[in-house]
Amino acid sequence: METQGQKLYEELGALARFMDNAMHTISAVTPQIISSSIQLPTAASHLSDVKKMTEDGTLEVMRLTELVQDNHTSMAKELAGVAEVLKAIDCASLEGRLEHVRSILAQDDKHLIEIMTTLSFQDLVAQRVKKLVAILDEVQHKLMELVVVFGLQHNKEQPVTEGHAGDLLKQLEESKTTSMKQQVADDILAQFGFK
Amino acid sequence: MPANPNMKILVVDDMVTMRKIVKNILKQLGFTNIDEAENGQEGLQKLRDGSYNFVVSDWNMPVMTGIDMLRAIRADEKLKSIPVLMVTAEAQQSNLIEAVQAGVSNYIVKPFTAETMQEKIGKIFK
Repeated sequence: METQGQKLYEELGALARFMDNAMHTISAVTPQIISSSIQLPTAASHLSDVKKMTEDGTLEVMRLTELVQDNHTSMAKELAGVAEVLKAIDCASLEGRLEHVRSILAQDDKHLIEIMTTLSFQDLVAQRVKKLVAILDEVQHKLMELVVVFGLQHNKEQPVTEGHAGDLLKQLEESKTTSMKQQVADDILAQFGFK
Repeated sequence: MPANPNMKILVVDDMVTMRKIVKNILKQLGFTNIDEAENGQEGLQKLRDGSYNFVVSDWNMPVMTGIDMLRAIRADEKLKSIPVLMVTAEAQQSNLIEAVQAGVSNYIVKPFTAETMQEKIGKIFK
């Protein structure tokens, strides 16, 4: 009976030590957990910005590509008209050269379609970013659960944006508002005598 | 029967960039009567309201996915014969099998080329 009591006492002691260690560990990582749970939504928002930026860039390239395609169509029509005239006046050498120009245009049309299809990378990027944002959202919820379940307290004196991740996030945030447009740079340069 | 260049085509994709790409390729292939929808539900509504001859659809879309729209098309007495080409980043074998079982007419994996689309359309309307 005494041996069993001794064993139970030892087990309880081991359990108490384990819990104490666990509490110390949780306490040690509390700032990181709180910091991450606060930083994650901002990081997710920047990822969504990346998606928007690739979309805007892609649409602009598409717009310009379509303009070139339309110009090619007009050029091809004009060249066909000129070729008819040359044929009528039996000017074979010029007609041949014109045909060569038309074949170059046709090749470029193929290149333009390739440019358009290559831009589908944006859709693939967007789909992956969307999934990553969803993952970050879930991780953030789990971290918040930890904060709530263990009653983790944030040290008010400690900034939540500390550490490498915090620095990078700060840079990303700043780039939204402080990134300089060329016009502003030119204005400043002009003040220093650059023309 | 080769594809009729005047046939009415519906492009269904939630990404505006992909809709533009598909429309551009179809235009270069000689098709001019092209409409678009942002998701399966809108696509299905347009199909029920109009007389479309061909559907090019994405898989992953909000509100209603492409595969759900495909099933709805095949279950609809008026729409079931419309060919549906899926253009999707879902490149798992299981996805392809699921699409085939749902009655897809052909399947293109993103990223793709204009030649691939031309070849698939050719096979659908041969």
